[in-house]
Amino acid sequence: MNTLVKAALSAALLVGTSYGALAVERGGTLKYGRYADSLFLDPVLNDANVDIWVLSNLYDTLILPTDDGKGLKPGLATDWKVSDDGLTVTLTLRDGIKFSDGSPITPADVQWSLKRAADPKKGIWNFLVGSIQDVTTEGDHTVIIKLKNTDPAILAALTVFNTAILPMKAFEASEGTTDEEKAKSFSAHPISSGPFVLKSWDHGQSMKLTRNENYWAKGEDGKPLPYLDGIDFEVIPDDATRILKLQSGEIDGAEFIPYARVDELKQADGIDMKLYPSTRVEYITMNVRPKIGDKDNPLSNEKVRQAMNYAINKEAIIQVVTHGVGSQMTSFMSSATPLHKGDKPLYPYDLDKAKQLMKDAGFENGFETSLLVLAGNQDEIGIATAVQQMWGQIGIKLDLQQVDNPSRTQQYRDGTFTMREAAWTDDIADPNEIASYFVYSPTIGALHSGWKNDEADKLFEASQKEIDAAKRADQYAKMQDIYNSSGPIVPLYETPYPVALSKKVQGFVQIPLGNNIFGAAWLQK
Amino acid sequence: MPLLAFIFRRVLQTIPTIAFILVVTFILVRLLPGDPASAMLGDRAIDADVQRINAKLGLDQPIPVQFLYFSKAVFTGDLGNSIGLKLPVIELISRRLPVTLMLTGMAALIALLVAVPLSFVAALNRGGAPDAIIRGTFQIGLSMPVFYVGLVLLTVFAAKLRWFPVGGYGENFLDDLYHLFLPATTLALSLSAVLMRNLRAAIIGVVGADYVDFARAKGLRARVIMTRHVLRNALISTVTLFGLSIGTLLGGAVITETVFAIPGAGRLMIEAIYGRDYPVIQGLTIALALLVSFTFLLTDIVQAWLDPRVAR
Repeated sequence: MNTLVKAALSAALLVGTSYGALAVERGGTLKYGRYADSLFLDPVLNDANVDIWVLSNLYDTLILPTDDGKGLKPGLATDWKVSDDGLTVTLTLRDGIKFSDGSPITPADVQWSLKRAADPKKGIWNFLVGSIQDVTTEGDHTVIIKLKNTDPAILAALTVFNTAILPMKAFEASEGTTDEEKAKSFSAHPISSGPFVLKSWDHGQSMKLTRNENYWAKGEDGKPLPYLDGIDFEVIPDDATRILKLQSGEIDGAEFIPYARVDELKQADGIDMKLYPSTRVEYITMNVRPKIGDKDNPLSNEKVRQAMNYAINKEAIIQVVTHGVGSQMTSFMSSATPLHKGDKPLYPYDLDKAKQLMKDAGFENGFETSLLVLAGNQDEIGIATAVQQMWGQIGIKLDLQQVDNPSRTQQYRDGTFTMREAAWTDDIADPNEIASYFVYSPTIGALHSGWKNDEADKLFEASQKEIDAAKRADQYAKMQDIYNSSGPIVPLYETPYPVALSKKVQGFVQIPLGNNIFGAAWLQK
Repeated sequence: MPLLAFIFRRVLQTIPTIAFILVVTFILVRLLPGDPASAMLGDRAIDADVQRINAKLGLDQPIPVQFLYFSKAVFTGDLGNSIGLKLPVIELISRRLPVTLMLTGMAALIALLVAVPLSFVAALNRGGAPDAIIRGTFQIGLSMPVFYVGLVLLTVFAAKLRWFPVGGYGENFLDDLYHLFLPATTLALSLSAVLMRNLRAAIIGVVGADYVDFARAKGLRARVIMTRHVLRNALISTVTLFGLSIGTLLGGAVITETVFAIPGAGRLMIEAIYGRDYPVIQGLTIALALLVSFTFLLTDIVQAWLDPRVAR
């Protein structure tokens, strides 16, 4: 109830700020502090969130995600239709759309961009559009996508960064012989289809974007978007420094505000502390193989895992680590993920039940086990020490092993880890991505945990082709039930994205998938 | 010309040192757990992608083969491309290293400007109030971690008083100096404390020496005694210490660059290590090894000049 009231209030406040008396003002450059720089701004060949989260400002997709990240709205295409057999998607391109150099965006550009995105030899994201068999064009406005099999997530996939539309001719004319070389030289001086164009990029220090004068979308004042003249991204890895720069007025926005500072910044003058809903979930992954190395592994016992889940007071962790910013998970996928099912917290704290389960499993006297923790990461260390103390109450002696990230990834990939902390964010507004990594064993062996459930695997395979929305929702409901009751993770909490903005900044949004959308952002003078 | 012969000998000695550093770095980097592809692709990567990328980078080759390629590249002056940033390593280093050089250079200068006069004041007032105050202040400076000092300076002089920018790097030389003042001061603090302690003790030792008494007896002016006899002799051990501190200073720059958001070589190194960006780690190591060797060389030359016995 409390949450409902809060949600209603914040929704009312949101509406109040975005549609209030404020009239948009044009011009100005927004300075935004990022925790890390991008690496490679090619929609298809990039590998990391630091790229993904800014790409949508440079390149438009055929369909765009709504601000809540769950719905679809027209992008470069004004209309789309999926055939009755679910095997063809026909899209109508918007009239008069142009790239930033003024050349028209044609069906041929779309055809080429989509085929490149779906090419299994290119990039690590091709699986999102793996169902595309062929792309053809018809006349000046029509693009037809033929699918190998029905794909309920295909429209959501057409909003994802890797299906962004690039100018074929300019790309192909770029220096280099291979696609990767061309991508490298093209992305150094890209021709954009999104609201902004890359002006300059000093790797590791700053990236400057300027408005795309040929952008199609119109603002509230009837003139073309964006409202801003440009965006200056500054790379400021240290959290405290990023906040100081915002407080001193040197920047207008700062991302990744540590949870510990959220309350303080909510009270601060001139600062608008935002908590954007996200698909981010924090959890502990367990290795459930019967043996790790040559040692017996108690975590392979489902009852033990359940006991460990019940023994954790998640609300306490949320208070201690996220300073109350997070909330309890009701499924392994966040409540912002489509087809999420669940309305009550998973494994409410119940020490007696935990002890009973340990006894039933034959581990009344507990056992010793270990958890990999990212060295120097305060949140992870905080969680680990809390969990260590809580598991101690059911006789589990937890050894905390602090390592750096590549070492941790190595153990994780090799399946030699015992437990590790991790976080996840969706890239597509569909549950298929998270399910393929967490549940479906062929992808990465259910988070490299060694967990495998035949029924869940079958459900996932079926859900990938099911175009009846109700049936698909049912498949996901079952998958979540199976995973939540016996899966290899300890769900800890879900958290919003904490972004601190100057009160001058209006209209900026970070959607639940993480993308920073500056297209309709403006600065109050 | 014993000094020239000495310099020549010292330059020759540097070559095997650098070769040794190269081999050790190459091996150490490959002994680290984790590979570049996994670091780049993150936890979600599927095995096929990791293998594909490692093969493309030649990391599926045996270590000796990789070393041959690497040595060939180094001798031809090509340090390869960064795996993460996809830019030539030479370009990255030539852009980032000057920033670090300027930061450490400024810090060294500030440390000297603070340490030398204060050492004199403290030494000549040995046991008195100025000595106690100066020594006490520096003791505090020495015991505070660099990142903490940095944050305090930032909060007070940048965020509160707004005399300096919170971080970043400038647009031109003067702007750079302005941006780097706080971080350089942060770095300089502990170095100046170390130098001060050493120099003060050296001055006290020299002031009591017979030749100073003799100079005084000859009726030389105090200023001449101080600069020509006391300072020159007291500096010998401090110069060595100063040269050796350059390595520490570069280490401190790594932290300072992160706190102050300065795009220098230190931060590049940290990012490269986390990303297992082998070519960048190797390239930077070579560059920094050359730099430190050069500083040691310079230190020895200055020492030989101050004390000709060293060159013999």
